Amino acid sequence: MNPRVIRAVAIAMFKEFWRTPEALFWTYGFPILMMIGLGLAFQPRVPPPVPIAVVIGEAGAPFVELLQNTKELEVLQLDAAAADRALVRGRVGLLVRGTKAAPDLRLDPVRVESQIAQLHIERALHRAAAGGPIAVATAIEDRPGARYIDFLVPGLIGLNLMGACMWGIGFNLVMMRTQNLLRRLFVTPIRRGDFLIGYIVGRGVLVVPEAFVLAAIGMIFWDVPFRGSVLAMLAVVIVSGLAFTGLGLLCASRATTYEGIAGLMQTCQLPMWMLGGALFSNESFTGLMRWAADLVPLTHITNALRDVMLEPGGFAEVGWTLLGLGGFAVVCFTLALRLFRWH
Amino acid sequence: MNSPASAAPGVASSAIDGPAIELVGLRKTFRKGRDVTVAVNGLDLVVERGEVFGLLGPNGAGKTTTVEICEGLTAPDAGQVRVLGRQWRTGVDQEIRERIGVCLQETKFQEKATVREILGLFRAIFPGGRSIEEAIDLVSLGEKADSRTKGLSGGQRQRLAVATALLGRPELLFLDEPTTGLDPQSRRQLWDVVREYRAGGGTTVLTTHYMDEAQQLSDRVAIVDAGQVIALGTPAELIRSLGAEHFVEIEVDGFAGKIRPAELAALPAVEHCECEDARAVLTVDSVHTAVVAMERLLQERDVALLGLATRHATLEDVFVHLTGRHLREDGKS
Ligand SMILES: Nc1ncnc2c1ncn2[C@@H]1O[C@H](COP(=O)(O)OP(=O)(O)O)[C@@H](O)[C@H]1O
Ligand SMILES: [Mg+2]
Repeated sequence: MNPRVIRAVAIAMFKEFWRTPEALFWTYGFPILMMIGLGLAFQPRVPPPVPIAVVIGEAGAPFVELLQNTKELEVLQLDAAAADRALVRGRVGLLVRGTKAAPDLRLDPVRVESQIAQLHIERALHRAAAGGPIAVATAIEDRPGARYIDFLVPGLIGLNLMGACMWGIGFNLVMMRTQNLLRRLFVTPIRRGDFLIGYIVGRGVLVVPEAFVLAAIGMIFWDVPFRGSVLAMLAVVIVSGLAFTGLGLLCASRATTYEGIAGLMQTCQLPMWMLGGALFSNESFTGLMRWAADLVPLTHITNALRDVMLEPGGFAEVGWTLLGLGGFAVVCFTLALRLFRWH
Repeated sequence: MNSPASAAPGVASSAIDGPAIELVGLRKTFRKGRDVTVAVNGLDLVVERGEVFGLLGPNGAGKTTTVEICEGLTAPDAGQVRVLGRQWRTGVDQEIRERIGVCLQETKFQEKATVREILGLFRAIFPGGRSIEEAIDLVSLGEKADSRTKGLSGGQRQRLAVATALLGRPELLFLDEPTTGLDPQSRRQLWDVVREYRAGGGTTVLTTHYMDEAQQLSDRVAIVDAGQVIALGTPAELIRSLGAEHFVEIEVDGFAGKIRPAELAALPAVEHCECEDARAVLTVDSVHTAVVAMERLLQERDVALLGLATRHATLEDVFVHLTGRHLREDGKS
């Protein structure tokens, strides 16, 4: 070890970093901003009640009243079909049937919030029975289309669309910019639009088959259902891909360093990972969180994917989503084209 | 091979278009924080059609900046730019780009693409241009046509870059330091490509810091230093401007006390003399007159001549004469 060499290398590396404000901001400034943002969102407070569903007509009135009087629980009264849907979409943690004397709970214990709901219900029953014995029947939700895995697979397809379209397209574009290839193309008569469309098609074609491969894997290994329209699914995949591509292109339209493009992408993607309803449900969000969740495209994409996979959804069900995402894509592309720099 | 000029869209209009390039009072300053670099400082230049025009200057002279302004990549701070009779950013950018071919100082093509694939891309951009095979032949890359660019040597990569520039049968070709870092054989191959392009009627603007490249390839040369043209003319004219075109270098067993430098400088045909203990460099306009007189003087004073070499003056000497510096930092050329 030669301390003089180590010192010289360290100084050289530090200076280079320090003199690239773009890299510096995204590496060190951005985490501070993120900390403040997330800290505000999750500062200590009373946790929100755990949502559960009571199946209308299948639960005794005194039992329902007991649950409604339990402040840790948020009780939704739904008919059987709506209750099933609320369970798979993660709007509620479990389904309640039966009476105080013979409660009947249905849940997928893979979901932590379902287990918490179960514990709260049991505690409420214990209190009501004043220490007397209680017998709770719990059924594990194992019907295809109602389990957490059924919720998860469309979510992962949505996440993959986001990752592939934004990283695959945005990042590579910045690389071509730093290597002067974009400049070289700029001095030819090529039109920006032609270049960008070709670039997107070339880098993006595999995204569409990939979504169907992921769906097929879910179907083959875990019996994840596919109940809706394949064409509608295709449309959702393509339009979602375009929406994320537009966003990726927008991020890449000016960035000239890898840190810059990576930072911009993360700024866009982090809220989607957290709020987009891909890995865990955002259905019971309220207030500011609800508003934010509705704002991110991934929420609408995972919803649409679940509509066509878990339910017999078609164009009627996902039409508005397609339109909205299409509009989002157009806005992103227009801005990206405006801002685009060849060098 | 079709000549570039005959296929060019603007042949009929060339007469009214005037020269290939006209630059008047060009100025460009780069600012980065407190760093202010005046890259081009009031540069005037006219490049005629059909000539190979060399911009010769040391690193940092402003050659790349000047060429990139001509290519429409950089906007000047002040001054007028006319390229093929047109001005950038007046709604004719597309037209100019169709008529020029550009080889940037540095371009990394996609590493995993083959030579043929890269040319295919540019071929699609220039619909009226050469065929891919023709372009490959032009730069003699036939053997490497199906190799990926990652595995090409520097010279081959540079020839590929030139091929992409020639695909559209440009009227005007820009080559920014096309042979920097290349081996002598690759350099000569590239020079041949340029000569062939010129024979077809095309105009070339070439930047270089190699005096031999400028001298051998260019019809006219502008010597650029600190963002200005400090000398302009054919290589022969520029060398003639030195007053004497030859150098005679002699090595002796020692002048010490026997011959004074002024005596050497006073010999017939000698313009100037730089003298050390046992070495002298005479700037002369007629080698044989000077050598005969010099030998006689050495004999008279009993100084033994150990070595003698003569060389023709180069553009390097012109540059040294004008600036007191060498073109390249290491002083060789
Ligand atoms: N993009 C830029 N930003 C800041 N300075 C630059 C930039 N491009 C060139 N320069 C500076 O302008 C001067 C001229 O550069 P350049 O035109 O590349 O010279 P040459 O091609 O003759 O070597 C140099 O001092 C260089 O450092
Ligand atoms: Mg240069």
